[in-house]
Amino acid sequence: MKVTRRTFLRESSRAAAGLVVGFQLGIPGATSALAKSTRRAAISADPESAAEFAPNAFIRIGTDNVVRLWATRSEMGEGVRTVLPMVLADELGADWEKIVIEQAAMEPRFKGIRLRTSGSGSAAGTWRPLRKAAATAREMLISAAAGKWGVSAESCRAEQGSVVHTESGRHLTFGELADAASRMPVPASPKLKDKKDFHLIGTRVKRRDGQAIVSGSAVYGQDIHVPGMLHAVVARCPYLGGKLVSFDPAPAMKVEGVKYVVPVRSGFATGVAVVAVNNWAAIKGRAALLPVWNKGPNASFDSDTFTREMENALDQPGFALRRDGDAPAVLVASKKKMEALYEYPFQAHAPLETMNCTAHVREGSCEIWVPTQAPEAAQQDAAKLLGIPEDAVKVNVTLLGGGFGRRLQTDYVPEAVEISKAVGAPVQVMWTRDDDMKYGFFHPAKLERLRAGLDEQGLPVAWHHQSSGPHLSLLGPTAEEKKNPNYFADDGMLWGSFDNPYNFAHHWADYTLVESPVPTGPWRAVMYPSTVFARESFLDEIAHAGKLDPIELRLRLLQPGDMRDLKATMINRARLIAVLKTVAEKSGWATTQGSTSDLGSTTAPHEKSGRLWGRGVACNVYDGDCYLAMVAEVSVAKNLSDYKVERVASVIDCGLALNPLGLEAQTESAIAWGMTPVIGGKINFKNAQAQEHSFADFKVPRMSEAPRVETHIIQGADAPGGFGETAVPTVAPAIANAIFAATGKRVRRLPITAEKMRLA
Amino acid sequence: MPESSLRVFSLNVNGELRKVKAAADTPLLWILRDELQLTGTKYGCGVGVCGACTVHENGSAVRSCQITVSSAAGRAFTTIEGLAAKTDQLHLHLHSCQQAWIDEDVAQCGFCQPGMIMEAAALLSKHSRPTDADIDSTMSHHVCRCGTYQRIRQAIHRAAEMQSAKPSTGTKTGAKTGGKS
Ligand code: FES
Ligand code: FES
Repeated sequence: MKVTRRTFLRESSRAAAGLVVGFQLGIPGATSALAKSTRRAAISADPESAAEFAPNAFIRIGTDNVVRLWATRSEMGEGVRTVLPMVLADELGADWEKIVIEQAAMEPRFKGIRLRTSGSGSAAGTWRPLRKAAATAREMLISAAAGKWGVSAESCRAEQGSVVHTESGRHLTFGELADAASRMPVPASPKLKDKKDFHLIGTRVKRRDGQAIVSGSAVYGQDIHVPGMLHAVVARCPYLGGKLVSFDPAPAMKVEGVKYVVPVRSGFATGVAVVAVNNWAAIKGRAALLPVWNKGPNASFDSDTFTREMENALDQPGFALRRDGDAPAVLVASKKKMEALYEYPFQAHAPLETMNCTAHVREGSCEIWVPTQAPEAAQQDAAKLLGIPEDAVKVNVTLLGGGFGRRLQTDYVPEAVEISKAVGAPVQVMWTRDDDMKYGFFHPAKLERLRAGLDEQGLPVAWHHQSSGPHLSLLGPTAEEKKNPNYFADDGMLWGSFDNPYNFAHHWADYTLVESPVPTGPWRAVMYPSTVFARESFLDEIAHAGKLDPIELRLRLLQPGDMRDLKATMINRARLIAVLKTVAEKSGWATTQGSTSDLGSTTAPHEKSGRLWGRGVACNVYDGDCYLAMVAEVSVAKNLSDYKVERVASVIDCGLALNPLGLEAQTESAIAWGMTPVIGGKINFKNAQAQEHSFADFKVPRMSEAPRVETHIIQGADAPGGFGETAVPTVAPAIANAIFAATGKRVRRLPITAEKMRLA
Repeated sequence: MPESSLRVFSLNVNGELRKVKAAADTPLLWILRDELQLTGTKYGCGVGVCGACTVHENGSAVRSCQITVSSAAGRAFTTIEGLAAKTDQLHLHLHSCQQAWIDEDVAQCGFCQPGMIMEAAALLSKHSRPTDADIDSTMSHHVCRCGTYQRIRQAIHRAAEMQSAKPSTGTKTGAKTGGKS
């Protein structure tokens, strides 16, 4: 991670002279040696070298004392545009009020710098490089001041936007020093501050975009307005894998305001774009179109039938994920055994801002405005489609009205580019809610079969977790890779079964890949939701069967609290134990729930206000990096006609919590997200079409379903971990376990409905 | 070229009379966004189930995606851009809900929040001290995919307190966003 002279730019072309510090870090692929070392860094999960994947952070200090920082991640609610300035302010010694945050765009200036937002990495991935950038700037400002005063750099410090000579109290503002600082040599290894010298990091800081959001001036993708811009909606082939055969533009052209009707070959599916002077004309024009579609090879695809296929696949050979001991043999020999099958259905992302993209294709160049998590891919897609160099494509990232993984795909970008090119004008392509619901990269449906062999005390000694279902369709193994039975294990997958943190003498996990025509992609928490739902539900079943307290059982299975090195992931069991113990205390677990109960399989449920109440626990380790335990409390109508999640208490240790207020917000958010597949979110496919149209039939949590959420943070470690997804996977099992505690009803197939409770 | 089917409609938006030429069945939502460039009112579903497009008519919350411009003609609406009172060229008095939203750090992606705030402001104009049950029943017609519900509830209670303490409106902008809480 060497800082070269090249990274130090003077932007004399700008009106105000100033100091610009940028960091060129190891970019995968820059050289083969570098690429190899970055790859290794990922595998060893070393936070220090993992930063080599991280982006540059750009700082610009003007003579007007304004410190500009270019955010190298997309803001989609995770608060990155707030947390990066906090880090900058602390490490640089800047005046918080003088920091302006800008959004980095894909343009030559940021070439080779990661702008992609994924894997909960907004804070974790930018932390170290940003601090180094800030420390470099600080040291250069200090050298400049020390030089002017003829004193040693050691006798000066930077604080509140000025350099101060401690002894004499003399001071110069960053603005006054900017020009001189820009002539100072770049320090080879700037010294990072000690944690104890931070003022903002670790405190509760509110969102910097708050005011713009509440006054309606925040700019999302759909709010972009480019002069001369036309609006388009696209009729896409409604059949998975089907194609456009023909269309007659005439009926759409009859709608006043419609300017063009053009075919679209790129993007999610082939189709027809209706381009008009405003959205409404485009929407009406599309409604008038009657394109002819070829239903393609999957015309009869049905998700219920597919579930049965996944069930059959469980008995077919698959990929080996864990092979500790000989679980199948011990299972056969065990006197006491348990087995259960869990189902997680297809999910849509359904961010509140539907997909959209604005593109302006000119001769030899293109400019794009898009709410995306993947500006790099957007640039590549556009360049490829137009046959122009990537540098000729500028991608501006707007605020995102939710991302959740859907906006890691860029299908909406080539669509807009293709249409703009066809009509020779800037075009905004807007997806209707119905489009967004149907044409997604869905969270894959999964089945999980768990088997355990138990000892005399009811503790599992053999554990076998078998998963079946589609993988993420754009990331799946190639035909060649499929021949390697360790393909997934080598990469630490499947998350949730591979990195199962518990100690079993015999521990196997398998995965049978079942292909479906449904496009699938990362959805908040990616692979964890289904595996953890099954794993943590099954543990609860084992606990109740053996009359063991569910927290106590987990604590026992995490002994001796050691580090578990799974090669691709490292699990710190002591940290998981700590969050479990803390959640027991914070949730008042022991106060209503004894370890055994005379009610048989239901542990200490109670009645209050004419309803049945119960608590359930679940815990998980996210990517070896973030540790969480959660207790959900539910109330259920006595006749099982409904249930309500009343309260969710979580304890989270994701390393250094840079902004606890933001971490709490993400936990609240992740809980609502994790509730979606529980309370009714499910995408059903019939005849190769998703059947859901809007929030009327894809049920998402609303205010009346929102539980009281309590989040407790364990401030751990020195570096921040990712936390945007951490709380998602435990929600479903904690609720299912709570419902069981309240009613004795075990629902293993999501969503949990009144009917399923009654039939359980 | 056949005769235009577009007509001119006048409606009052944020205290100003606006004339727009549009198809009679155009939802008010698209008039606001595409014709008047008032993009604080969001498109979330277009079918009345998410609340992102909520505006005020006579202080009541209405869904602009469910009102056609022909029926909106002659009526008066307030959008999120018009919720704060202008005190002079430079300053706004944020509505107590807007201020409470900042104070409670409600927004995540923020996309649903203009609609939420308009709904909450209308609720408070009818119930000066709404209970959790009042809040739940009104706000449950809205979707926040980021799950900010708990903070919205707190913000509504806070705004109610602010309003009863100071019956007019909220505080001056420039009120620190990004400040420590
Ligand atoms: S856009 Fe009007 S309710 Fe959703
Ligand atoms: S804050 Fe993102 S949808 Fe509500």
